[in-house]
Amino acid sequence: MIELTGVTKSYNRGKIRAVDGLTLSVKPGEIFGFLGPNGAGKTTTIKMIVGLLRPDAGKILVEGHDVAREPLKAKQVTTYVPDFPAIYERLTGLEYLNFIGDVYGVPKAERLERIGKWLEIFELAPAVTNPIQSYSHGMKQKIVLTAALLPAPRVMVLDEPLVGLDPRAAHQLKEMFREHCEAGKTLFFSTHIMEVAEKLCDRIGIIHRGRLVASGTMEELKALDRTEAGQSLEEIFLEVTEK
Amino acid sequence: MRARTLLTVVRAGLRSNFGLAVLKHRLLKEKKDRWLVPIIAVSALGVVPMYYGVVLALQNVYGVLQPLGQERALLSLGFLAGQFLILLFGIYYVIAAFYFSRDLELLIPLPLRPSEVMASKFAVIVINEYLTAAAVVLPIVLTYGVLAKGGPGYWVNAALVYLALPVIPLAVVSLVVVALMRFVNVSRKKDALILIGSILLLVLAFGLQIVMGRSAGGQGPDTSAAAVTAFFTSPDSLLNRVGAFFPPAIWAARAAAGGFTGKGLANLALLWGVSILLFAAMIAAAEALFYRGLVGLGETTGKRRRLTRDEMARRVSSGRRAKAAVFGREWKIMNRTPIFLLNGTLVVVLVPAIFVIMAMTNSGGGGQGQGDATALLKAMASANPLIVILATALFMTVCGSINGTAASTFSREGAQFWISKAIPVAPREQAAAKFLHSYLVAALGVVAAGLVGAVVLHLGAAQLAAAAGLALVAGVLLTVAGMMIDLARPLLDWANPQKAIKQNLNVLLGMLADIGILTVVYFGVKALIKAKLGTNAVLGIVFAGLAALSAASYAALLKFADKRYPEIE
Repeated sequence: MIELTGVTKSYNRGKIRAVDGLTLSVKPGEIFGFLGPNGAGKTTTIKMIVGLLRPDAGKILVEGHDVAREPLKAKQVTTYVPDFPAIYERLTGLEYLNFIGDVYGVPKAERLERIGKWLEIFELAPAVTNPIQSYSHGMKQKIVLTAALLPAPRVMVLDEPLVGLDPRAAHQLKEMFREHCEAGKTLFFSTHIMEVAEKLCDRIGIIHRGRLVASGTMEELKALDRTEAGQSLEEIFLEVTEK
Repeated sequence: MRARTLLTVVRAGLRSNFGLAVLKHRLLKEKKDRWLVPIIAVSALGVVPMYYGVVLALQNVYGVLQPLGQERALLSLGFLAGQFLILLFGIYYVIAAFYFSRDLELLIPLPLRPSEVMASKFAVIVINEYLTAAAVVLPIVLTYGVLAKGGPGYWVNAALVYLALPVIPLAVVSLVVVALMRFVNVSRKKDALILIGSILLLVLAFGLQIVMGRSAGGQGPDTSAAAVTAFFTSPDSLLNRVGAFFPPAIWAARAAAGGFTGKGLANLALLWGVSILLFAAMIAAAEALFYRGLVGLGETTGKRRRLTRDEMARRVSSGRRAKAAVFGREWKIMNRTPIFLLNGTLVVVLVPAIFVIMAMTNSGGGGQGQGDATALLKAMASANPLIVILATALFMTVCGSINGTAASTFSREGAQFWISKAIPVAPREQAAAKFLHSYLVAALGVVAAGLVGAVVLHLGAAQLAAAAGLALVAGVLLTVAGMMIDLARPLLDWANPQKAIKQNLNVLLGMLADIGILTVVYFGVKALIKAKLGTNAVLGIVFAGLAALSAASYAALLKFADKRYPEIE
């Protein structure tokens, strides 16, 4: 479960307000799609949820843990996939997975099972003993995803996770999203791909200039005052993010 | 080459390399790092007395050479030393800039000629080298100019010589490197290339020093009176001898000293002519060879092989503690990144190793001086063992802290710092693991310096143990100081690992902090010695004082990590 209450974040000494009083909640077992134009505040919001950035105001709870006050408890139940897979290029894929397994305290039997499963699914098994610097962008993205899945976290937060993935891997990832949430866990991800959000998400939030301008299930979004019946998510998005 | 395009590319290269826009933004807009300005100013002022000493020494040398008609040797020595420094740093800069800088991926697809890309990189290196050479060349040029009462001809020519100074060594290095990258299949093993190249360079530099030392020593005993007379009666014989290693140094010296005379201008023309020719050759080589050597550079080799179930079971960790995992990560990344390895783990071993090699080659060549030094040290050791222990401890401490490991420990994470912030490991635990890593490197330096003490200076086990004890406890304090500085202002937005350690201001600030701490300790020890305490009492008090400070500083580091990690964005 993720809860944001009145979260605000500014840059450049308050001159640029990236996130402005954002309040939203994602329930257990829910896939939440976070949409918005470039520079709307998606990545800033995500980075605040996972503790990479500190909000100027407001409160963020992850599984009931205040990210600011109990950061380790919140991080223990969360994994994060950034929009760009900047990871330790000098480690091998397996060393990186071992590192993540160690810091999250994943028991060996579970590690073996999960690493084996995801390496096969992502077709990374033959490359896992090679240095990450020899991986393509897509392979790096896959190793970051494998690492994020390794602790089987209660909450997964992903920033544009489908970028760089081949269609097969993207399909597998979407399947995983569903499995993750069927187990009662929470998934929060940002995307620019409207079809994915429309088909996959239980609820969708649209952020524009740091404010949440629309939020709800597809049906709820279609029922908004500003939108018309029968509109696609893309049309709704364009409507609510118009200047 | 198209002049306008070239100018644009060079300007972009200079801007991105020297980061003036970033500095301006940080100082004026974000108002960060302002505290650094007075510190750097004070540090710069601190260099003034040192330079004053250098100038005094140069005045003396000039005073000795001038009556013999050999004063111009001083200039050639200055230019030679400058060009040697340029060459030394140049090999590394050239390889890094031409082949391993990440902006190549952006530049190559642009409608630019290979020679234009290379010229822009070359310009950045030349400007870097002006700064490198300034430390050696400027005091000599200035001292000579004042003492020899150089007229406008001297000053104008000296400035023109200085402008041309880096071109010849850098163009030669560039030609060799470009040819090597094209024709030798080394490009795919770039890590090994940088590492082996840098070590070879050090060996070459010190080999040259040894050879020069020997040849100088070899002339002493068998030089006949006639040869000596000839040497001193012929003006500039010393200049020629010094410059024989690298003729452009002679041209440079003659050009500056000659001023607007025919000889001065001819030598200036020679220096500039050869510089331009070599630059042109490099540009021609760039057109033909540069991009071809680059092909495949971004790829890394590695056979792909699927692990068997048993192999996987063996290689999947059964669970280390988080601190051990962070330590393991630090260790692996440091030692697998050539630039980090060279400036961290290797340098602490190399510096003492060079001492040993130099001492051994000197004694091998019948060096009387080394034997004298040992005898002197032995005499000192029996007369005043305390000073010997303290001096050895200082040497060990310096050898341990002369590397950039501690002061770049957070910066080295670069764009991957998000991982450290996202994992469920307390900042203090991460800092403790990083401390352990940096401290182990320092301890390695202490041990290596201890070997120098044992092998070269023949110090006794008790003296070495006492000195090592002091150095190891002081090492905690210095390691913490370096880490604190880096934690206060980590440099995380780098694309080239060189920036994280070699061009990281934190490493310099760390060394200044080390000097500051050691100066305070020095005055403390001096006061203890003045108080006429016994050897053991002084050592005990110094050890206890350092241990207390170390413990307190370590605790402060952990606390600072808890505070600072969430702030770093």
